[in-house]
Formats: sequence, structure tokens, C-alpha cells
Amino acid sequence: MTLPRHFGPFGGRYVPEMLVPALDELEAAFLAARQDPAFNKSFDELLRHYCGRPTPLYPAHNLTRHLNGCHIFLKLESLNHTGAHKITNALGQALLALRMGKTRLIAETGAGQHGLATATVAARCGLGCTVFMGEVDVARQYPNVFAMRLLGAEVVAVADGTRTLKDAVNAALKEWVQHLPSTHYVLGSALGPHPYPTIVREFQSVIGREVASQLQTLTGRKPDHLVACVGGGSNSIGLFAPFLDDREIRLYGAEAGGRGPAPGEHAARLQGRPTTGIVQGYKSYFLQDEHGQIQGTHSISAGLDYAGIGPELAWHFQQGRIQFSAISDDEALAAYQLLARLEGIIPALESAHAVALAARLAPRLPKDDLMVVNISGRGDKDLFITARALDEARWRAFLHSEVHRDQ
Amino acid sequence: MTNKLDTVLQTAPRPIQLMTHVVAGYPDWETCSALVQTMARSGVRLLEVQLPFTDPLADGPTITAANQAALDAGVRPEDALKWMGEMAAALPEVAFLVMTYANIPYAMGLSRFVDACCRAGAQGIILPDLPLDEPEGTYAEEARRQGLHPILVISPDTPAARLDFLLPQASGMIYTTLKVGITGASKDLAPASLAYLETLRRRTQLPVAAGFGISQPEHVAALRGRAEVAVVGSHILGLVTRGDISAVEDFLRACTSL
Ligand SMILES: Cc1ncc(COP(=O)(O)O)c(C=O)c1O
Repeated sequence: MTLPRHFGPFGGRYVPEMLVPALDELEAAFLAARQDPAFNKSFDELLRHYCGRPTPLYPAHNLTRHLNGCHIFLKLESLNHTGAHKITNALGQALLALRMGKTRLIAETGAGQHGLATATVAARCGLGCTVFMGEVDVARQYPNVFAMRLLGAEVVAVADGTRTLKDAVNAALKEWVQHLPSTHYVLGSALGPHPYPTIVREFQSVIGREVASQLQTLTGRKPDHLVACVGGGSNSIGLFAPFLDDREIRLYGAEAGGRGPAPGEHAARLQGRPTTGIVQGYKSYFLQDEHGQIQGTHSISAGLDYAGIGPELAWHFQQGRIQFSAISDDEALAAYQLLARLEGIIPALESAHAVALAARLAPRLPKDDLMVVNISGRGDKDLFITARALDEARWRAFLHSEVHRDQ
Repeated sequence: MTNKLDTVLQTAPRPIQLMTHVVAGYPDWETCSALVQTMARSGVRLLEVQLPFTDPLADGPTITAANQAALDAGVRPEDALKWMGEMAAALPEVAFLVMTYANIPYAMGLSRFVDACCRAGAQGIILPDLPLDEPEGTYAEEARRQGLHPILVISPDTPAARLDFLLPQASGMIYTTLKVGITGASKDLAPASLAYLETLRRRTQLPVAAGFGISQPEHVAALRGRAEVAVVGSHILGLVTRGDISAVEDFLRACTSL
């Protein structure tokens, strides 16, 4: 048995031959693990007792009242161990790595959340760990860099290309192909060559399953609207997956609109006239020039700062099943503050894009409708970005005093 | 019309041919042209021209940096093919092969790309991240129709069942890596790599090109009798990056005279 390799015309396995056996091995391990009650039991138990699942579904009354539209519920993936949805996938893949007899995990990371999650499960499972992170992201997500090292991981700053998430993926793939027998590559989003997009979706779909049952308990109903931010697409496809077949439920993705629509200023792959490409092992929409060179991107949030999008989301975009909107850096920052002040929840800047989209949509929706917004992560990691953006004078004074403390 | 790659491999004057690699436009057009001339003068008859790409997945640091430098200098796929066409016309004894990553032909349109390669005098196309079992794998048929060889790249970890699928579709030669990894000069050739070539030999009638890691004339000598072609990429590019074009000639002469 094998898993479907394509999502409509997207996805696939566009890799050099030497990666084919490793991807076949991974697919076989995943298929066998899914059927194995022992695997599912240890995964479920670790999700519960280690990661803190189920994460709460929180009725955000203050935000609902403020926006004066539909009811808003927040799925608090931010309350996972390590502060984001990423650990669910990292844990699942670490257990697969153990099954395959691997002794070392490698990962790419943008915001550092996936790297942190991988370093964490590596420590827990007694596996070695190396995390690849673009130089730009090492500089702007330092709290996570420090934590990964504390957990025993090696953090490699990637200086190639745009020095962000895309280049970290390249570096991880290149490291993997040089160490296939010992190493499992824990890809952190629902992208890359088959079977990664499917594996990541399957592990993350626990988000959507919990939402379905929690909302049922709270309201006796199913959701009308689901909102998530979209980097590579793991938290969004995880939330959406169990609801895709129910056409009454509206699905919305928030992409990084950055500083505006000019090339290099955003990571909104599905706005304007999206173009398909074959990059990093899969076919999807990519931000690229007319010659097929991948373009630079910008987002205030490192986790959304990526030129491609998971192939399954590309397919649902083409089918019109999911609606994608661009949220600017400024809108995200405003939503970040709004949620902090109204609900006492500081979201990750990535998740703040979803909040901003919800704030755009909710006021126009019937008051009786139910909307769930995925708070994919918490905002602590963004200190170096948000403190500078929102409170620059005091932040600089603090940094200055730190530097001179011992002099 | 006969393919020049076949001619080179059939009338091989030496027990092993060299295939060298340049990144189009790197470090600049003038040096790149001089480099190709040097290679031809030193006896190279197979020459791989890489069209630079932002995300060269199979390449190590040397070639990745050269791709980036060429892109920074504004090299476009059309420029690279035009330049290659001029080189191919000036050096009729050399078989030129176009190497790049899937997104470049995909963006150009696969048919247009094959046409453009053909017009630029290419004898073959190497696309390491475009497997034949994906829909765009049809480029291989298209290339063959136009008299170009789609060159498949396999590796020592390619399983027997996969070889059964791939080998019947290969043409011109089969390009195998000597290690499972990325491009880059190595100090030694592993004995396992040489043993692997012997087993590959027994599975195919096609000429075998072996590369990834070759950095010394002794490596080339060791491949003699085990492969028809030794591929040297990163090592020479490393010399070019250091600005040492004359060392390229010395190296190639040492390889061909051993
Ligand atoms: C908190 C958070 N949310 C969202 C993302 C975006 O990734 P994805 O689209 O795979 O969920 C990231 C990625 O780093 C993240 O850290």
C-alpha cells in the first residue's frame, strides 16, 4: 500500500534519485506505524502528558464583543509545550525516526518554533539534533536559538540565498542526503516531497478533530468559519483537514502581506496571479520571477516568510475551497496588541495574522455564526521584533544597559 | 543526425573520457568562455553547462555559491543557452550537455526548453530533480524526439527495483554519483564506490559516467575500466573561484595523461 502522491496537479516527489529510497522508507514506516496500536498509544500518551493536549478551545467573549460580529473561539495551540502547534508533528516524526532506527534528527526552522520542538523531542527521545536556521532568523528569533542550544541541539546559521526559511530547508535536505542511514529529517510544515505533506497533515489534524468535539461540547454545533495563518501550511491544514468535505464550513487562510505587494516585500503566494513551480521537491505555487528563479520574501513573522506553500493547500486554493487573504505587517502588529489587551493572550506574530483576518471577517458575519481562529503559537519568541516595533526607546535603553552592565 | 555524445563515446581515443562542469556566466562570461576553451584544449569532449538556479538542491557549497554569483550578475537561462550555442559552434569536437533544476524548464515550458537546448547545440539534458515518474517526466521523450539524450542521474543507493524501472528509459549514458550526497570535491574515492560501479556495469549496456567527489588525477585513473566517463565538477570550479585558470589546464592534462 502507498499513499496518494499528488493533490490534484500539485505535490509529487521531485527529488534527485538518491532521496527516493529514504522517502520510500519513511512512507513505509508511517503506513506501518498508523496501523500499530502501540505506536498510536505512545503518540497519544505523549501528546497528553508531555505536550499538554488537548489544547483549550477558548470562547473569546471580549474579542467577539469588540468586533461586534460572529462568535469567536480561539484554539490555543499556543498552550502546547514549547509554545506552538509544531511539537505535535515533531513528536510524531521523532517516534517514526525511532521506529526506523535513526539516531539523529535534523530540522529546518523559520520562527524557531519547529526547531525548538524538534530539539525538545530529540532530548526527550535520546536522539541527536541539528537545526538549520537562516541567518536572518537566527538574529530575529534569538530566544528560540538559545533554548535549542540549551536542549542540546546544534544550531547552524544558514548564509545561502535569502538566509531565511527556504534556505534552511535546502540546507536540511542537503545535510539529510549526506547522512541518510543515521538521520531522519523532521520537515516542519506540510510541504516538501511526498510523503511529507501527508504525514505532517495527518499528525497535525488532531487540531481540527479536537476543535470539532470541543465546539460540539461548548455549543452543540459545528463551526461555520475556520481561520488560520499560512506559512508552509501545517497549522492551517491541521485545523482544516477534518472539515474539508463539509462545504458548509468556510475556510480562510492568512498569508503574510508584509510591507506591500512589490516583489520581495511579502510572502503572499496566492494573491495577484499566482504561478506554479517545482521547487524543494514539490509542485505548488511559488513566488518567482518569469525565469523560474525563486524570489526573496519579507514578513514581520519569520514563520510565514517563505516563498512556497504546501501542495494540498495549493490544490484547495485552485478548487476555491479555501480563501486566502494577505495581512500586512502593520495589521498583524495591531492584532497582536488587540489580543493581548482584550483577552490577555499574546499570540505569535504568525498567529496574529490569523487574528487580523478574523477581525476583518467577523464584523460582516451573522452574529449567530461560530468562528474558530487558530492561535498557532505564543508570542514570547517575538520579543526582539515586537519590542523594537512597539516600544523602541525603552527596548534600546534596556539592551544598552544589558551590554554595559558589567563594564 | 547522430548525437555527438554517442560519437565521443564510441570513438573514445582514451580509455576514459572527462566530463567537466561549468556554471554559465560564472565567474563572468569572459572567464567562463576561456575556461571552456581551456577544457576543450586539454582534451575534454563532454561538457556540462549548468543554468544557474536559486535553489540548487543537489549541489554542495562550491557550486551553490557559483549559482548564486551568476544570478547576482544577472545571468538568465536565455543568456546561458545563447552563450552555450556560441561555444558549441566554436568547438564542434565537444558534446555540450545542459544541466539545471526542474523549475527552470518548467517556467520556460518544457517543450520550449527542449527546443531551446536543441537550438543551442546541446546533445543532452540533465535534470536531477525531475524524475521520470512525475507528469513532467515526458520531457525525456520530447528530448529524444529532437535527437537529445535525457541523461538520468542515479546513485549507489538506487534499489534494484528502481533500476529496473529507470535503466530501460535511460539513453546516451547513465550518470551515477559515486556517493550518496551532494556535489563537492572529496579526498578519497571509497572502495565501495568502485565495487558499486562493477555491479552497475552488469546491469546496463550503456556507457557509465561517474561523478561527485572526483578531485585528483588518481581518482580518474581508478575509474578507468569501470566507467566510460569521469565527471569533474566542484574541484575545477574551486580552482576557478580561486582565480587559478592555469591550474585547471594542469589538472586536466594530468588526468588525461595518466
Ligand atoms: C507559531 C507559528 N505559527 C505558524 C507558523 C507557520 O507554519 P505553518 O504554516 O506550517 O503552520 C509557524 C512557523 O514557524 C509558527 O511558528
